[in-house]
Amino acid sequence: MTNGEAILAVRGLSVAYGESKVLFDIGLDVAARQIVACVGRNGAGKTTLLKSIAGFLKPTSGSVASDGTSLIGRAPYDIARMGIKYVPQDKKVFSDLTVRENLELGSYATQDYDWDRVTDYFPKLKELMDRKGGYLSGGERQMLMIARALLGKPRLLLVDEPTEGLAPSIVAHLRDVFRELSKKAALVIVEQNLPLVCAIADKVYALKEGRIAARLADRESIRIEVFERYL
Amino acid sequence: MMKPLTWWWGLVLAFALVGVLRIFLPLPFIIEVLIFSIYTLGCNFLLGRVGFISFGQPAYLAAGAYATAFYLYYFGTNPYVGILMGIAAGVAVSLAVGPLFVRLRSDYFALVNLALAVIVFYLMQKVLAPITHGDNGLWFLTTMSPTPLLDITRPGQFFVFAFVVALALWAFYKYLDDTIFGACCLATKVNEDKLAFLGYSNFSIRLLAFVIANTTTALAGSMYAIYLGFVSPEMTSPARVADPVVVTILGGVGTLYGPIVGSIAYTGMKDLISRLIGNWELFIGFLLVFIMLAGEKGIWGTLEPLLKKAALRIRNRWRNEVSGRR
Repeated sequence: MTNGEAILAVRGLSVAYGESKVLFDIGLDVAARQIVACVGRNGAGKTTLLKSIAGFLKPTSGSVASDGTSLIGRAPYDIARMGIKYVPQDKKVFSDLTVRENLELGSYATQDYDWDRVTDYFPKLKELMDRKGGYLSGGERQMLMIARALLGKPRLLLVDEPTEGLAPSIVAHLRDVFRELSKKAALVIVEQNLPLVCAIADKVYALKEGRIAARLADRESIRIEVFERYL
Repeated sequence: MMKPLTWWWGLVLAFALVGVLRIFLPLPFIIEVLIFSIYTLGCNFLLGRVGFISFGQPAYLAAGAYATAFYLYYFGTNPYVGILMGIAAGVAVSLAVGPLFVRLRSDYFALVNLALAVIVFYLMQKVLAPITHGDNGLWFLTTMSPTPLLDITRPGQFFVFAFVVALALWAFYKYLDDTIFGACCLATKVNEDKLAFLGYSNFSIRLLAFVIANTTTALAGSMYAIYLGFVSPEMTSPARVADPVVVTILGGVGTLYGPIVGSIAYTGMKDLISRLIGNWELFIGFLLVFIMLAGEKGIWGTLEPLLKKAALRIRNRWRNEVSGRR
């Protein structure tokens, strides 16, 4: 961990959908410029964890803090303005808006109009500026969503299953982008693509039935065969 | 997104057509179409851009109309000041109820607005009868003073006023569409969570859209009051609550010209059919059901792609002829 407060510190987090408890006593730390992966089977609570951090779900107990500031009770837009951006799993961009308009939305909210910085990661977006979001492929949508989230220079990106359903070439490109991004921001990535996790993660939390089953904090232990023991 | 020149020309052409129609059609009909289209603009914006269906538009219409009427009946004689009062009332009512209403989902939003329309109806008809004169309404046609430049107490000049206001509002809504705020409205309709994690407050965007739309509706109410020189609770009657929604859907939800096309069609149908048939409301009801079933895109939503194709064909033919001559 780096000096000072953690970019993200989750302590004893429990979340429920009505009567049904989904997360139990989750603890998680993310330091600056660190890639943290959360792995687990479907229904393990990975997306719920990200949504709780991003402010979309209210925890029943526990704390979530960023640089010492509590995120509990804050509205999602407020958390986004603090530089914690959530990139959801569904890859749904605003389909009636063009790529340019989608980026404008991100820019206006953050007052960051430096599109060259974000399109350097995804040069293809430059060619698609006038195409409506609804006509983009899955990979192009994912690029747009990450590019949009990068506007405003976030401190922490919460990325939910970014490679799901994407072609291997795009997965490889995203892997390189995540590595590059980690030089400037911290990332929490929920992912089922274990080779990708092994390639980029500095720390891995394995979730099972809403609980942390394992915490792998050194690069040596982040191996597929180790995960399989817990999943 | 349309090029600015394209939509500006389209707008000018559409309104030029309304201006030309003025020569052939009776003045009251054209004025009714213009005011009704302003009334529908707000509903079209709420439904087409923000995703809110509102059965409470008559409440905001009445807010504008009664604010204008109260001023002209009790306090002053200048109709322009009356219109400003109507606009102020629209903003005030929207700000009073908006923070509660815009938190609701679209279906509950529709119902709570319907309830508001009913409340306003009974307020105007019964509770506030000592000042609203209940069903007898407030009459002030003869007490309005003539105004310099454009005397809107005269129907002919009121038409010019209504025409200019409608044109300006159309341009304003088109401008809104092309702004970040317009994009945010569309985005909050499609997926509010996504807008939130970009750093936008859905509540603020919806509230602003709500105030803009309902102030437009209040302005329409104000214009009705000036034009008729009379207001009564009838305008917010529960039987009238679906009118703007029907006209919005009839014209084409969220389309630029939908409100004016819908208003022409609806007012025209009412005008024509009521001359021929006694129970015209029943007939219009069946006709509307048929139109909705035939094309859910509405009249303009159905016509627009066909007109675009035809325009493209004419342009290509014209280009071929020009290049052939060379």
